[in-house]
Amino acid sequence: MDQPDDLGSRLAQIKGAKLVKSFCYTCPWQCPTEVLVRDGQVVYHKGNPESPNNIGSRCAKGMASVYLTRDPDRLKYPMLRTNPKGSPGQFKRISWDEAFSFIAEKLELIRDKWGPEAVAYTCHHDPNTVFFRHLLGDLYGSPNNYTHTSGCEQDRRAACLTVFGHVFPMHDFANSRYVILWGMNNLGANQGLWESRALIEAKKKGAKLVVVDPNFTETAQKANEWIPIKPGTDGSMALAMCSVIIQESLYDSDFVKRYCEGFDGFRQHLLSHGYTPEWAEPICGIKAETITRLAREFAGTKPAMSAIFKGSGYYTNGADAARTCYILNALCGEVDKPGNLNLKDWAPLAAPVIIPEEAKAKPQKPPLHIAMGYPLAPDLPNSRLPDAVIDGKPYPVKGLFVQSTNPVMSDPNRDRVQEMFRNLELGVAIEIFMSETALECDIVLPETSFYEHAEIRNGMWLGPEVILCQPAVPPVGEAKPLYDIVKGLATKMGWGAYFPYEKWEDWGELVMKDIPMSLEDLKRTGFWAGPVRYNRVPDGLATPSGKVEIRSEAYASAGFDPYPVYTERSVIPDKDFPLQLTHSKLSMHCNVLTQNNPFLMEICGENWMEINRVDALKYGIQDNSYAIVESPKDHIRIRAKVVEGLVPGCISIRHGHGFGHWAMGSVAKGKGAHSNNLMDTHTNPITGANCYNECKVRVRSAAT
Amino acid sequence: MQHGFYFDHQRCVKCHACEIACKTWNEVEIGPRWREVVKIESGTFPAVTAMNVSMACMHCGDAPCKSACPVSAISKSAKNGIVTVDPNKCIGCGFCAWACPFGAPQLTAESGKMEKCNFCQTPGKERPLDMPRACEEICPTGAIRSGPMNLLATLERDAAASRLGRSGIQGLPGLILDAERRFGAGEQA
Repeated sequence: MDQPDDLGSRLAQIKGAKLVKSFCYTCPWQCPTEVLVRDGQVVYHKGNPESPNNIGSRCAKGMASVYLTRDPDRLKYPMLRTNPKGSPGQFKRISWDEAFSFIAEKLELIRDKWGPEAVAYTCHHDPNTVFFRHLLGDLYGSPNNYTHTSGCEQDRRAACLTVFGHVFPMHDFANSRYVILWGMNNLGANQGLWESRALIEAKKKGAKLVVVDPNFTETAQKANEWIPIKPGTDGSMALAMCSVIIQESLYDSDFVKRYCEGFDGFRQHLLSHGYTPEWAEPICGIKAETITRLAREFAGTKPAMSAIFKGSGYYTNGADAARTCYILNALCGEVDKPGNLNLKDWAPLAAPVIIPEEAKAKPQKPPLHIAMGYPLAPDLPNSRLPDAVIDGKPYPVKGLFVQSTNPVMSDPNRDRVQEMFRNLELGVAIEIFMSETALECDIVLPETSFYEHAEIRNGMWLGPEVILCQPAVPPVGEAKPLYDIVKGLATKMGWGAYFPYEKWEDWGELVMKDIPMSLEDLKRTGFWAGPVRYNRVPDGLATPSGKVEIRSEAYASAGFDPYPVYTERSVIPDKDFPLQLTHSKLSMHCNVLTQNNPFLMEICGENWMEINRVDALKYGIQDNSYAIVESPKDHIRIRAKVVEGLVPGCISIRHGHGFGHWAMGSVAKGKGAHSNNLMDTHTNPITGANCYNECKVRVRSAAT
Repeated sequence: MQHGFYFDHQRCVKCHACEIACKTWNEVEIGPRWREVVKIESGTFPAVTAMNVSMACMHCGDAPCKSACPVSAISKSAKNGIVTVDPNKCIGCGFCAWACPFGAPQLTAESGKMEKCNFCQTPGKERPLDMPRACEEICPTGAIRSGPMNLLATLERDAAASRLGRSGIQGLPGLILDAERRFGAGEQA
């Protein structure tokens, strides 16, 4: 027998398995992988060692995902609701042909009565969504094709687009000497694994890591300095740091003059608002001298990086907090150089189908986010979608597709989201489980998991990167890949000719046409990586001015202050509800998808609430016992952990959106507590982000 | 030569990938945990610290589990020092678990017999020793290494040398950055 020399092939030989290059889509960081398959079963799933994206490594969630292919709770057939809405759905098995006919008829009915704009599509972030976009957008004529960002990093994304004209910068930790992270727990959530490793290596080489977070997160644990800021006040501290850097002339005067828009105005703006460390201290709870020192360190160390993710959002003031954290980089000339935020190049993937211009429908109404009054929103303001469905504002939405997303669990104010689904003419869930959202729909279509279908997408690595997921095992039951679901529905609606592919390679060739690698080679390597680039700022950015925008004209024309301002968040604790509710995630779970996995549930089978020892004493909470968390709106019973690593005055619910399932599967059901009905609907006025942390609560022991 | 694990707590982010890699490669059922990441916290707010340790069988030089086993089910390889348990001999009495100072022996399997880390030497799926162990292969931050003890000792020696020699050598040209002096006394560097 031949002796292979690469690790993957040797391991495959030991297991008597075939090796398939693919990627993992348990989370949106999509690590390139090698899937070991024997007799149509996934027996092991390792990292692709050649890929710079994860360097052969994996996370717990990705490793455990092998269970997806053998989970008995997977959806196997199209299911049609048999009982009236208003109670959890009962379903009967139907054929795919019946399912496509049902949806096609409803879509025609909605279009005739309310126009195509009355149908919306939301998903997680699956690149195969592009097929639906062509069907529902180009052909049917709805401008409402959205993903999930408002429940995620909407504020950060809007800020990044505003300041840098870039949607998702990478973090070049490897070359950095000073990193300040705001509400960002990338080591805890295990985001880009190459970033995790680079951050640890940089620290080993003496880089300083500062983590600003109310919670002593896994990332804060690794920091040289944890800045335990009061929740929802990051903007004040970041503005004060900007002020120090400008007042003490620590900024990069050449960079701001040549490449930034609005530096002088910003200086005036900070002065006239009195944004100083002394002003910020009582707001954010961090001493003025600490803020000043950090500002000097940040400006005095090169290369440096100020980065932000979700945590500083989740408040009504999160958009400008994110913008200020990015502007800190601009003031110091620390943009897109080695060791900075990297405005990465995307690989030029082409469309998988070609819809001729003359076949394209022209929507009569603007997309929902514009009509709702959020022109700066990079994605649908989810929390306002119920207004459209229930109240017809800004215009009626009657049909909703939810694919690979579970808003009944993941959006705030669960009551309102459930009510929304009960008011739809057509609710379609495209899912791998009978999720809580699927239960509220009219029809449920079983989708294949990433082990069973193909996807080609941009990788989340520093340079441009194409990654390929290819079918490793047959579909579960009658589950179909999204591209086949779209083809089936399109055929039923008379548009089958625009989706001519017979197998995935047919559209795969089209997608790869501008990439300097053939699809055949991609199937062998699993990825294509282009050169890493730096220093794109002088070439001009995709902002309106082409420069780094400290002053945003887009903000001004939308009626907001063109410079970042600090406003207090909306919900402040009081006598009756003395604690701020905050949320954090878990490293061994991903959102609402992984709680039916026995491997992960063995490590963490229940979520919990963290409370500082001082508050625990005050409210009679015992470590590891159950507590009642009560907001003005609802209450939950959840396990309490008494900790030192949390700012007093707030509690932190870990993974509150992903536990307490009442559907999904036998393993997930009834474990832990779902916290998303504690909060009312609050929407960021600028970006339309969900505000998960705009909530005040009181706590008591569940034993009394 | 005795084989073992090298673990760098500064790298471990408690992601638990090692546990699942162990489980999926060695096909361990739900229940026994051959490897487990443990977090140790100390201090009071706001001066808190935490350390993560990924724990498994240490394949001890003089294994207490082996001495405690009344039926000689536990053996230590003369070739590589790996400590393994023979499921055909094990009676599930648990003496090994009492004797082990690390909590490595797992008695939670359906069979009632002891299981533990066998350095990826499960019969039929043995990983040759020139390969990384499953836990090591998967670790995103490179916190776990395995190999002969003399090589592992070199890793620690290199790490210590790098800590000693760190000042000033990693900066960009023209910038001398002494981590300790730069960030002041009393703060971790």
